[in-house]
Amino acid sequence: MILLLAPLIAVAVVTAAALVLRAQRGSQQELVGSVVEPPGDAGGLPSILYFTGVACTICHTAQKPALRALAATDDRIAIREVDIADDPELAGRYRVMSLPTTIVLDGAGQVAGINVGFASGDVLRRQLVAAGMPNATQPVG
Amino acid sequence: MAIVPFDRSVLKVNQAILMVVIVLGYLVGFAYHAAAYVIPALAVMMLAAVASPALNLPRILYVRILRPSGVVRPRVVQEDPAPHRFAQLLGGIFLTVATIFVATGLLLVAWVLAWTVVALAFLNFAFNICIGCILYAQLVRMGVLPLSRAPAR
Repeated sequence: MILLLAPLIAVAVVTAAALVLRAQRGSQQELVGSVVEPPGDAGGLPSILYFTGVACTICHTAQKPALRALAATDDRIAIREVDIADDPELAGRYRVMSLPTTIVLDGAGQVAGINVGFASGDVLRRQLVAAGMPNATQPVG
Repeated sequence: MAIVPFDRSVLKVNQAILMVVIVLGYLVGFAYHAAAYVIPALAVMMLAAVASPALNLPRILYVRILRPSGVVRPRVVQEDPAPHRFAQLLGGIFLTVATIFVATGLLLVAWVLAWTVVALAFLNFAFNICIGCILYAQLVRMGVLPLSRAPAR
């Protein structure tokens, strides 16, 4: 009859772990509106911070081509690529939990949007416009 | 470079098999302790699936029967499959450790580990919360994991 405890113990452990991890993931969205690091040299315009990694297949096969296509439509769009293995501290400050992660920063370096997983060029363009990028309405797919 | 399609339905089938077989094995185990040997069987299934797509029993079941018959619909997404493979590996390791406890007669520990796999599978199946994937991201970020560029399968 002691075996009846097995599912209870397991569910309690997993629930606790899930709640902790979910709380951590949720906290990334709290960064929206805050400045994590001083703004770079994007000329006061919104920019994209792109977190990638060697093992992230979708980063190389989809996210990077989408970012390249987006940048090709407007040379004012600044994209900073960060390999999390090269700069784990920065990834930690932006609370990156999954790859790819793209973060749209406004001209003042404030976090305007966070995308966990693949983000299309159109999604990123809309976020750039919302962050203050002028005349950036051309769709890129 | 081509976009890598990744069909999440294979994962769902895998999770469903895990949940159903472990829960049934647990219930039957009250009458017949030998039912605990579903745990090593599932451990082999999980580890084989990680080793090669040709040995991935849930994938074979999905591709050859469930998808053609329309029972399970494809859910193709643009996603890195590596975290999910890591999560599968974790499940396989949990069940392998549980197998050791089955062999040594510590069935409570074995079933706690097996039920942990059930709970993790349920979170992923029902809510798309992949604890193993989150752990994978943390380990890659810390530079702990060996990295690969294996394609989706």
